Amino acid sequence: MSMRKAYSESLTGYLFLTPLLLIIVVFSLYPVVYSLFLSLHRIILSLPSLGETFVGIDNFVAFFTDPVGRNSLMVTLVFVGVSTALEICLGIMIALIIHESFRCRSVVRAAILVPWAIPTVIASQMWRFAFNDQYGIANYLVYGTNVAHYDAWLASPVSALAVIILADVWKTSSFAALIILAGLQTIPDELYEASKIDGAGAFQRFFKITLPLLKPAILVALLFRTMDAFRVFDLVFVMTQGGPGDATNVLQFYGYRKLFAEGMVGYGSAVSIVVFLLVFSVSIIYLKFIGTGILEKKEARA
Amino acid sequence: MFLNKLVITLCLCMWVSQAGASETLHFVMWKPNQPELWDRIVGIFERETGVSVIREIGPHSSTAAHALVTQKLKNRDPKLDVFMMDVTWPPEFAAAGWASSLDRFFAEEQRQDFFPGAIRACTFRGKLYGIPFWTSGGLLYYRKDLLQKYGFDPPTTWEQLVRQADTIVRGERKDNPALKGYSGQFKQYEGLVCDMQEFVLSNNGRLLDYESRKSTIGLPANLQAVRFVRDRIIGKIASRGVLTYEEPESLHVFIQGHAVFLRNWPYAWAISNDPNKSRVAGLVDITVLPHFPGGQSASTLGGWQFAMSRFSTKKQLAWTFIEFMTSPRIQKILAIDASQAPARKSVYRDPEVLEKNPHFAKLSAVFENTRPRPAMPLYPLYSAILQRFYHKAISHERSPLEKLAEQADDQVRYLLQLQEEAGM
Amino acid sequence: MTRSFRESLLLIVGVIAAMVLSLAPFLWFVSIGFKPQVEITAIPPRLFPSDVSFTAVHEAIFTFGLMHFIKNSVIVAGCTTIVCVVVGCLAAYPLARLRIPYRRVILLGILAVAMFPQISIAGPVWRILRALGWLNTYQGLIIPYLALTLPLTVWILANFFGQLPSELEEAALVDGAGLFQVLTRVIMPLAAPGVFTAALLTFIYSWNEFFFALLIMTERDRQTLPVGIALFPGEYTMPWGEISAASTIATIPLILLVLFFQKRIIAGLTAGAVKG
Repeated sequence: MSMRKAYSESLTGYLFLTPLLLIIVVFSLYPVVYSLFLSLHRIILSLPSLGETFVGIDNFVAFFTDPVGRNSLMVTLVFVGVSTALEICLGIMIALIIHESFRCRSVVRAAILVPWAIPTVIASQMWRFAFNDQYGIANYLVYGTNVAHYDAWLASPVSALAVIILADVWKTSSFAALIILAGLQTIPDELYEASKIDGAGAFQRFFKITLPLLKPAILVALLFRTMDAFRVFDLVFVMTQGGPGDATNVLQFYGYRKLFAEGMVGYGSAVSIVVFLLVFSVSIIYLKFIGTGILEKKEARA
Repeated sequence: MFLNKLVITLCLCMWVSQAGASETLHFVMWKPNQPELWDRIVGIFERETGVSVIREIGPHSSTAAHALVTQKLKNRDPKLDVFMMDVTWPPEFAAAGWASSLDRFFAEEQRQDFFPGAIRACTFRGKLYGIPFWTSGGLLYYRKDLLQKYGFDPPTTWEQLVRQADTIVRGERKDNPALKGYSGQFKQYEGLVCDMQEFVLSNNGRLLDYESRKSTIGLPANLQAVRFVRDRIIGKIASRGVLTYEEPESLHVFIQGHAVFLRNWPYAWAISNDPNKSRVAGLVDITVLPHFPGGQSASTLGGWQFAMSRFSTKKQLAWTFIEFMTSPRIQKILAIDASQAPARKSVYRDPEVLEKNPHFAKLSAVFENTRPRPAMPLYPLYSAILQRFYHKAISHERSPLEKLAEQADDQVRYLLQLQEEAGM
Repeated sequence: MTRSFRESLLLIVGVIAAMVLSLAPFLWFVSIGFKPQVEITAIPPRLFPSDVSFTAVHEAIFTFGLMHFIKNSVIVAGCTTIVCVVVGCLAAYPLARLRIPYRRVILLGILAVAMFPQISIAGPVWRILRALGWLNTYQGLIIPYLALTLPLTVWILANFFGQLPSELEEAALVDGAGLFQVLTRVIMPLAAPGVFTAALLTFIYSWNEFFFALLIMTERDRQTLPVGIALFPGEYTMPWGEISAASTIATIPLILLVLFFQKRIIAGLTAGAVKG
């Protein structure tokens, strides 16, 4: 290829990339930088006479010293940790099942995808009603017709968080399962056959062969699920509004309230930057473990 | 000479009529429950003045309506002359310089006909920023059939209410196992502030001394009332489920026949007595909320007011509209055709109104005792602190009340500092 | 592989459990919309309705105005999908098949942008839209959706484009076709299944998105389905029958997509995630 041709190829290439870059720069990159800028200022919408003073990292200090902020961080970490762990475990189980070949397998695969496809808001309303203190199916399944024992699940700090986690696990385990399934499909059958001949049982085969070979797929699933779990919002908005007593006040909801309901633009932006940094650093750690394999392989193909 | 006058008069007439024909007012309101009624009363105004009113209907919830109106005011939108204000907004809108002061239009003696609580809520630093349109306040609904059956008069103290509820629930257990004593709004949201304030104030409590810039959430009288709610109401005469209830859920329990007492706003009257919606239609009565010994019944003020944008270019015309909408004539239409509680006291003495809504006689007594929520420009933040404090306090059986209150007071102190710095 | 009896039994139990746990909660919720009002709020709850009632469906459509939320959702999700696929194809082509400088940097950058939590851009995006006067407009929601969906769309498309053989492309170039023609005449038809997959995922994402829709569409006339369902108004009770009926109708298109295109969706979700 001549120099000129290569030059025109990259010129056209960039021409093709322009709309994408424009949208991403204006509506993703610039906003993050702008959020960072806002987070270093004190801006209170209902007190315009205070102006927009530069306060350095005061908002971040306030966030980490404020019991409400720290609680919000803790709740988020618990939610992320527990829900992703459960999702990965369930995901592995589901993946093992739908990896087997049996009749109507595609029907089963489609059925498992249904929770993933349902809008989160709808799933939230569903679980909210299921755990209703009077008419909810959960009480019926647990206590039967013993009406006097019916529990208000969303009124107690621990059970409210547990219900939110359950709703998230129900909705997104199938996603984790699909990623893990893709990993399963890359394990050659011969490995199993060989170990079967060696007399290994099903459990041994799972822990000796399947799990180690699945590690990359599990890490990718973990990466995606963790990133998503940090952004939990819809479930909390519909089911608890952060209550009872802030027990489900996750960061994205807390930031939303600060920014859009209370007009604390500076502090709210600081919360949003904290979420951003958390997600980013967790992602980097995972990517370190996974290696840049994703990218390298793509290049090799391209 | 005469001809001259005639020409001038003619010109004036033409100018006036032309101006009238082209005058428009921009009015932002929240989404009403009875749109037909609004079409009608705005229609009357348009016919009688020749001014056309362009209405923008905001979302139904107060929070969302707040977002829409403040957004326009921040932009100094000239297409906004008159808007509706929730009862907690005036200090914020006054401090931010968004609402126009109405003192020059609305003389002191004209205010006499309005409920004092409503006028107080529209006043910030001695200036008036809104004219009350309809008013509201918390009241106690009760099952008169059940109280009669057990020989009780409506409770006047909270202690009585708890005892009556206990007795009735125990007595009815066999026939109605789902019956609870009390229902109200205790979810972590704005309604919690309203409900808890009624307990606290009826124990001679005080939340905020605005003039001396002091937050007193931790006052012993306040905490005593909060402790009463935590120990005697939540999970006792009321199910723990009330911690997740807003108005609709709390009312539903009552109209299903599953509660003896209900704290709610006046709107619940029509629904609980509608046989198509309620299983207890005709068995319901209302009274003022109970109080603690030595205290006085307190009812949290609600309702909506008319306000004028400071950036309006047609202030005189805007006032004509506000004056019309809050006139006794329109207030009467509101009361008769919409069963909404008007803000003018005289309407409650009108025989036609009382014939249509006999319970208005009792409401009037409630509205005389309404207490606004603490007024401050940073109210949304203040409310969030209170919501957090109350919900934490009442959702754990052994919550450390003093410690939580201390934290909340600290947080409010910070808000007060900010306001002071901003010259408020 | 042959299975022992025990393994078969385990599999059957697993399949049934997975099916029931995935479907039962939602089927139960769907049934609420067809229960008579008295049974919805019966204490204790009744598992199976004694009678079928269409009042809630009727209420959801006529009183709640479901169709108007659906209209908004169709416009927003539809436009987002079309523009996203067009812009995505244009961008994925050079990233997958052309030799351009900083290709790796751009790919990594796109991957990074895909990780941005919505909250970290929400405030400024809201300010930009307000400055443009685009709050409560369709374009005001579609453009942020593009910013959210494009990174993964480009990632998926680049992955599909990258797998195509290069012979046809080279032949077209020799024949004197421009790069744009190569993209539209050769690459896109060849990668049609991949393009379709990307479109599907974008559509499902923007049909379901709630956070930005809540912030940007404050006027009821412009709200999309998730916002309508989350803020379902209730006067004297939570209208669970209506919520359920509206939810069922809103979910039908998604269930159909999943049933018919299950393979494509799985391929899209796992594209680029795991490679052998």
